[in-house]
Amino acid sequence: MKTNLALGLASIVASLGAPAFSQDGPIKIGASLPLTGSFSIAGQKHQQGYELCVDLINERGGILGREVELIVSDNRSDPATAINQYERFLNVDGVEAVYGTFSSRLSFPVANILARNGMVHALPAGGALRIYEQGHDNIFYFQPNAAEYVGASLAGVVRDLVPAEEAPKTVAIISADDFFANGVWSGLMGEIVTDPADGSEVADLSPGYLAELGLEVVYSERWPEEGFNDWLNLANQVRQTEPDLIIGLTASAEEAVQLTRAFDTVRATPQMVYFSQGTQAEYLEGTGDSAQGVLVHTSWHSDAPFQSLLAGSEFSNQDFVGAYEAAYGSPPDEDSAIPFAVCQGIEQAMVGAGTTDNAAMGDWLDARTKEDAVRTILGRFSWDDRGLPVEKPFLMTQWNDGELQFIYPTDEFEGVSAMSYPKGSF
Amino acid sequence: MEQIIQTLILGLALGGVFALMGSGLSLVFGVMRIVNLAHPSLIIAGAYATYWAFKLWGIDPLVMLPVAAIILAAIGVLLYKLVFEREARSAKYSEMTVLLTFATAMIVEGALGGMFTNTQRVTSPSYATDAIFIGNIFIPTGQLYAGIVSLLIISALALFLKYSRFGNAIRATTQNREAAELLGVNVNLVCIMSFAIGIGLAGAAGSLVSFVFSFFPAKHWEWVAVLMSLVVLGGMGSILGTVIASFMLCVVAAFVGAYVGATWSTMTFFLALFLILLIRPQGLFGEKPELA
Repeated sequence: MKTNLALGLASIVASLGAPAFSQDGPIKIGASLPLTGSFSIAGQKHQQGYELCVDLINERGGILGREVELIVSDNRSDPATAINQYERFLNVDGVEAVYGTFSSRLSFPVANILARNGMVHALPAGGALRIYEQGHDNIFYFQPNAAEYVGASLAGVVRDLVPAEEAPKTVAIISADDFFANGVWSGLMGEIVTDPADGSEVADLSPGYLAELGLEVVYSERWPEEGFNDWLNLANQVRQTEPDLIIGLTASAEEAVQLTRAFDTVRATPQMVYFSQGTQAEYLEGTGDSAQGVLVHTSWHSDAPFQSLLAGSEFSNQDFVGAYEAAYGSPPDEDSAIPFAVCQGIEQAMVGAGTTDNAAMGDWLDARTKEDAVRTILGRFSWDDRGLPVEKPFLMTQWNDGELQFIYPTDEFEGVSAMSYPKGSF
Repeated sequence: MEQIIQTLILGLALGGVFALMGSGLSLVFGVMRIVNLAHPSLIIAGAYATYWAFKLWGIDPLVMLPVAAIILAAIGVLLYKLVFEREARSAKYSEMTVLLTFATAMIVEGALGGMFTNTQRVTSPSYATDAIFIGNIFIPTGQLYAGIVSLLIISALALFLKYSRFGNAIRATTQNREAAELLGVNVNLVCIMSFAIGIGLAGAAGSLVSFVFSFFPAKHWEWVAVLMSLVVLGGMGSILGTVIASFMLCVVAAFVGAYVGATWSTMTFFLALFLILLIRPQGLFGEKPELA
């Protein structure tokens, strides 16, 4: 009897505290993510970012008075499965919106399905320029820029933070043969990006950031996308060319760990090292002191004082860090922060448009300007006609004394750390 | 010349690690005709056991190796009893084991992901990223130790198979299961123990892998094809063949990586698999199947 009474009271108290949702039923949102397979590390973190955001929105009363129901499917890092799952979301599950998947390799084919169905396609990852040059007007990228333009931040660091007389003169560039990494490579090397379907020119990136810096490329090599194990051999090839700058364009943080350890073993001594991945805590754990001085670009940093909106209320970057740690017991990294920002963007689009109609949501997102932007924990977003963010630089970070410090651009926020240079040994 | 010697050293060093990774797979196929696609996922399980022992209690991976082997061997016994024993007399046993082990691999991956998350891990004892330099040539100590331990384990296994009574029973079962049974060999026990040894070798390999490569639950898919190519080239069921194939292919891949390009080094394994199936399907040391 006492138990029943307690349960009854508890349910009354719980119902008083819980937000009252509309009777229209939940807003279903689908996300196909690589929870297993080669992208599973990032995929699982994306799931955490989406789930945390949806939970916080629901705690604050949902969207347009309706509870949000997130449907996540594991696409096993397989493009065909990702396509099938988004089609299922639309045709079977009856979702009213979708969140994007992880990686350019999966986002590229998914973009066509979502465009054909008139769905707003908010991408957390999918930096390859080709995705945005297909003429789709429903795409909105939630990272600072396309992969091909990542090199601008590295060029800025060399130009602005390194004294001219000490600047690197030679460079070795090695890369995964991966959609994203190839994009970064094209920008650095100044290649012409073509559409694989018809060979037409997408963008001419010449002369490239490395040429603009006057760097001589002394070694360049790609490794296969999957199954590569010969890291020491590759690192040794790089070491023998004695480059001042080593650029490692990895497809995952796991590859960045392998590369860093290999350079440590072969005792490479470059002045500067830049990797396209490696902001995660696991990178530091796997590399230890070897990470010292390694530069990595990122879309998010916990110190960036971004003020965003969540369910109509102010929500700071620090609020996100606190909520994430409370939910998952560890600090977040960009692989969870970026999908969180996507979720914020979709929520603001629904609220701004006053409907879950994707055409109206797309129009609302299209109409954003730098002054009246979508406000996320990654900062403010407005987009050009291609769906790429306007005037939004990547953040350049550097591992120093076991801490990932934000070093560039120097005029964006207060509290920017000084870059350590030269790196020397690993 | 320096470059050639260095490339040879790096190829041999990697070959030592792959030799142990492939040996358990070869043993299990030789005795039971199980094409164990779950073998790499069990190597990952051994790597996780080693990683956490190092992380929580500072136990060196080489010290943890026998423990990981025993833990995985016990899992092997359980796995055999639960999954394979009842199908052992099926006419389509080998074909069925492909499906069963594929499913097992997915279950192991899921279980590891559930227990340890999909975060990548790597064990970092001091020797893992160290190297012995002789002039400009270096020998990576992590892979050197892994290779030496790997060869010691394989040698011990070879001696056990050749000189022990139970080893003879295993070899007899490998050569002719029915004849061994007629001669009084307890084939079921041999299968259980062989499977346990094979999976135990996966555990031991996992300890070495834990500081040579970084790993995460889904990493095993990258190794399935590579390990299969080693076992097929060596001759399905021939441990000596697997060891020789490991050194051969890793050395060739290292030279391809150094002189042709890293893009093509992984291709070496698959090209070898293709060619060996075309030219000598029984592999280097395998027996030619008798035509009925």
